[in-house]
Amino acid sequence: MRSIAPSSVWVICPAFNEATTLPRVLKELRDAEYKVVLVDDGSSDNTPRIAAGTAAAVISHPINLGQGAALKTGIAYALSQGAQFLVTFDADGQHRISDIACLLEALEGADFALGSRFLQGSQQIPLIRRHLLRAATLFTIATTGLCLTDSHNGLRAFTRRGATALSLRQNRMAHASEILADIARSGLRHVEVPVTIEYTRYSMRKGQRTADFIMILLDLFAQRLYR
Amino acid sequence: MIAQAILSLLLSGVLVYAWAEHRRSPVVASLSVAVSLAGLFFVWVPSESTRVAEFVGIGRGVDLILYLWVCISLIVLLNLHLKLRTQQEMITKLARAIALANVVTPYEDVMGAVPDVPQPQAGALPPSRAHKSAQMDDQIA
Repeated sequence: MRSIAPSSVWVICPAFNEATTLPRVLKELRDAEYKVVLVDDGSSDNTPRIAAGTAAAVISHPINLGQGAALKTGIAYALSQGAQFLVTFDADGQHRISDIACLLEALEGADFALGSRFLQGSQQIPLIRRHLLRAATLFTIATTGLCLTDSHNGLRAFTRRGATALSLRQNRMAHASEILADIARSGLRHVEVPVTIEYTRYSMRKGQRTADFIMILLDLFAQRLYR
Repeated sequence: MIAQAILSLLLSGVLVYAWAEHRRSPVVASLSVAVSLAGLFFVWVPSESTRVAEFVGIGRGVDLILYLWVCISLIVLLNLHLKLRTQQEMITKLARAIALANVVTPYEDVMGAVPDVPQPQAGALPPSRAHKSAQMDDQIA
């Protein structure tokens, strides 16, 4: 069994106006000795300045493009730096740093390790959110054939080979479905790993609104229309 | 007569546009030609539109033209939307290229070198800034 040294892991952290939670998230990631790529997605607060002190690399989009675009930028940079293991981690403080190690462990037999908040039961998930995620899961099964329990979890880990197989053309939130479609197409192995999501008032406000799910469906549909 | 003259003028304008557009997108041009020719025909022989309408099962010629117009508008809208998305993708590529050309690596700036950078692969150039951006161009492409 090989173990993955934290310093060989690049954590890609997309952030848009996250100055409130960012210092804590970045400090914890650095204390765990991961290499952090912070992708500032055109924030208007001092997100990039906070990151400059703690992240290994800070990449700033000149304009706000969306989380999918930020992930792609971060992944492109990490791959260019020779990254062998890549992790995507939301900057709003909803993920636990300790879960990263579990994902990395799972990469020993797979190229994609996907966090799932539904694998270990009895978590505090708001009711509407729970139903929406259930619908998204059914949508994923219908469109990609992947039987996952949680299709929209921001905590994921990839091997270099896995990350290279992702196309990430969806700029906004539809990238979550797109990643799964790419995983299905690549034919590489994936596993789900139980993770905990901290639902704070902050992360609920910053996160997806219910109406956004309609936009996600429209984005996915529009992409099929051309090309 | 006045209305017919004005409509004919506008539809002729569409014909000129289609002719100018022909090289860029032949499909849009030929559709525009078809629409404007049909328009010109119905403007000068309105009774024909009623006959066509009755043939396809619509009461009046005006209704037929109205329905067709709604369909054409929707197609134009969809086409515009797809064009906008293509533009958005170009903007994204541009913004990403700018962002990746200006990566801030704090450790490097403070101490002159990044601690435990991934070792350059055998035969690779030293990780200078210029080299990095060249590598990144490969990744984006």
